[in-house]
Amino acid sequence: MEPIGHEGLGRLLKLGDDLYTPHVVFSANDLTESADLSSTGTIKIGKTFDLPPSPLGLDSEKAPYLQLSKSIAVFDNAYSTNPKKLVEMASAFRSEAGYSRLLYAPAVEPSQMPILAYLGVDIFDDLNVELRSSTGWVLDSGEWIKQKAQIDDLFSHNRAELSRWVLKIRNAIANGKLRELVEITSLHNPRVSQILYHSAQLLIEQGARVHSTIRSNDLSLNHPAILDFQNRLSDYEPPAKNMVLLILPCSARKPYFKSSSHKRFYNSIREVDNHLALHIVSVTSPLGLVPRELEFCYPAAHYDIAVTGSWSASEVEMLRAQLAKLEPKKHYIKAIVHAGSSSEIMTDLVKELGIEVVNTRVDRPSSYEGLEILQNIAKMTLADVPHLNTKDRAQGEAKGLASFQYGENADFLINSEISGRMPYKLRCGNLAAMSPVVGGFGLTMNGGIEYSSQGGPVVFAEAFKLVGDLFAVGVNAYDGDWNIGDQVVIKQNEVVTAVGIAKMTPEEMISMNRGIAVEVRHHA
Amino acid sequence: MPEAFVPLTDFVNESKSTPRDHPLDKPVAKWAEEEVLDGEIVEAGVVILRTRGCYWSIKEGCSMCGYFNDTVPGGVSDDMLREQWKKVRSTLRGKKYAKIYTSGSFIDPTEVPFEFADEIMSDMSDMGIEKVLIESLPEFVNPKNFAYTNAPKLEIAIGLESSNPIVLDKSVNKRLRWPHFVRVCKVARDNGAEVKAYILLKPPYLSEKQSIEDAVQSAIDAAPHVDKISINPVNVQKNTVIEKMWFRNEWTAPWLWSVVEVLKRCEDLPVRVYSDPTGGGTRRGAHNCHDCNNKILEALKNHRLGLGNLMGLDCECRPRWDFLTKQSSLRRNGAEPHGYRSGFTGGRHF
Repeated sequence: MEPIGHEGLGRLLKLGDDLYTPHVVFSANDLTESADLSSTGTIKIGKTFDLPPSPLGLDSEKAPYLQLSKSIAVFDNAYSTNPKKLVEMASAFRSEAGYSRLLYAPAVEPSQMPILAYLGVDIFDDLNVELRSSTGWVLDSGEWIKQKAQIDDLFSHNRAELSRWVLKIRNAIANGKLRELVEITSLHNPRVSQILYHSAQLLIEQGARVHSTIRSNDLSLNHPAILDFQNRLSDYEPPAKNMVLLILPCSARKPYFKSSSHKRFYNSIREVDNHLALHIVSVTSPLGLVPRELEFCYPAAHYDIAVTGSWSASEVEMLRAQLAKLEPKKHYIKAIVHAGSSSEIMTDLVKELGIEVVNTRVDRPSSYEGLEILQNIAKMTLADVPHLNTKDRAQGEAKGLASFQYGENADFLINSEISGRMPYKLRCGNLAAMSPVVGGFGLTMNGGIEYSSQGGPVVFAEAFKLVGDLFAVGVNAYDGDWNIGDQVVIKQNEVVTAVGIAKMTPEEMISMNRGIAVEVRHHA
Repeated sequence: MPEAFVPLTDFVNESKSTPRDHPLDKPVAKWAEEEVLDGEIVEAGVVILRTRGCYWSIKEGCSMCGYFNDTVPGGVSDDMLREQWKKVRSTLRGKKYAKIYTSGSFIDPTEVPFEFADEIMSDMSDMGIEKVLIESLPEFVNPKNFAYTNAPKLEIAIGLESSNPIVLDKSVNKRLRWPHFVRVCKVARDNGAEVKAYILLKPPYLSEKQSIEDAVQSAIDAAPHVDKISINPVNVQKNTVIEKMWFRNEWTAPWLWSVVEVLKRCEDLPVRVYSDPTGGGTRRGAHNCHDCNNKILEALKNHRLGLGNLMGLDCECRPRWDFLTKQSSLRRNGAEPHGYRSGFTGGRHF
């Protein structure tokens, strides 16, 4: 089997010619039942495999949760397990089943298949679909409808529709849109939305970081990438002490600094003396607050929200929490709010934290009048603020971004020779440079050497001449932990020979014999 | 095989530790019902005495048995048992057939003292009762436990549940072995008692089809050794393992069609096989769709009393049962989607 794509804990595996997961087996052809209670049935997925025995006499809520045979792991009762418990079970799927077993969830409803695929289930069946068919219901995009007009062969109609539905899930993983499909199915399905709600933390911890566009809405407040971004804002520090916080609205174009509105903001404030002491933070939903240095980071540059101009109570609460993480009292001496529809809210929130704040009270922030008011207020506010020079500012920017991206392991970047300016020219000596692909500092070869000695994750590969990407078959061992999408260092014969982006989880690289393990960015 | 049952048994024992507040001088229940005695229909008096309860239920307990809810953990004194007896005599007076239940084994001398049992047996004999049905675990079927001085004809009902050791061990959690059961039946019959066997239909973990096969096979196995067989579809009693699984939707109560199927397939056996489903027609008991529950229960009652057979029963839900049974073993548990028996009604369609 060969991993081709991941999203969340879900995987798109190539099992053979025209055979991919998530896959659906049909009870008429692919499943056989056990002859008696002490023997086991079989399942056909390309080849025929033995199923594990049914969980006789076991409490489904006590670990281990999966029944295992040589090639198949079965997640029994997936249809009915309590949503919170189900997520707890999902967190143990791979440690129980490993990566080379296919995970099969028998007798689940089509509407639950996307969320289960998102949590790592590979194989589904048609048992519930067959039952529904026998009562005259028609399957349509994962939903059941009843129609008066008879369909000639309802069973084969529903089977074909089920195949299409699973194909849709597969396509969603391939295109990084599985989350969207899951959200769609969760909309009016309380069970799916509960599972989705409870799985946020698990997806942050173990989920693949796929840099696909988040086409967002109110529901996406719980998107793992967004929660992760919000949580890690605590690691971030503004570039310097005693700056002036400038809160601007977000923009449709990402990163924000590339948008026409933000270019206009910048052009008008750069004419003010000591404008480097202004720290630009954009206010947005669902991310909350995005400091200028983090605009490259996933998902700040990868989302698209339906702009309504109104802020829900939960969004206001989220903004309050995010603002607290910036610790304004510690870092800023004053604040300017120039954020259009969210100005009132943000002004109140900043005031709550005890900072002197000026609201520009402009409805259209990037209009000519708006920019003029912004410029004047900036001029007045900055008059008695300590001067900040370019070098110190760049140093601070690099520090903030590095700690946000690398957390505890960021020291080697913070202490390096920092040069250049945000956004594109910022460099940490010869260790790292800004990279829109990585979404922040991308490591160079030297950076990789430093990173691995500081405790960064390492993949040990066979000793061969590494050209292009590293495939799973060449991986011997690993050190450290990472999620798909994180940067890793490749070592061969104890020497760092490449750095790149992980395309599989650590254990998976060992288990798999096919597929790309690391997408290499720099070779020795 | 996976390790046995301990986690679920833990759960049942938790619920047992809560104190129960029962009046000790009153029986659990008493009523009269129709029964067959020597080929004719008679009124039978039924009594459930409140006792300490089944020893096995105190130790571990069976997965579907909630009778411990009616027991008194510390035990009931002889005086209180006599008080209870006084209150049930009116129900038994004038009857030919009596059923004396405890929530355990009547002939377990540590549960029902032998002197008390001997007293009430001779009392019933004096009342003109011809036959008494009592229940017991096989381990107490020892001649000295039912060597009464003056007693009506004795019928001992033993919960065989299944003749399959895997079902007994993993699904019911009962420490009964088939050879032991056979031996005990002979002992009872050699000492002048009749034996009635209870066989479970759809204990936990079994699918609809597996459970039908298991019940039929158990009846075939048991028939030569017993005098009649009662098929007991599992119903959901409070504070049991099966209730927990039922709440989790890992198991649903059997269909009445399954009961009918088992009885039909047992028709040619040399002994009477019948069923009186506890909680029949409710969500906690054996049931079909809303339309035919009463019809089938009526047919089962007539079958039990020898007034009719089970031919010609039909309903819209029967093909659904048929369909589910065919695929049920592939589902790997005893559950089915909620609402299936009624064909997922509800919602308008065009």
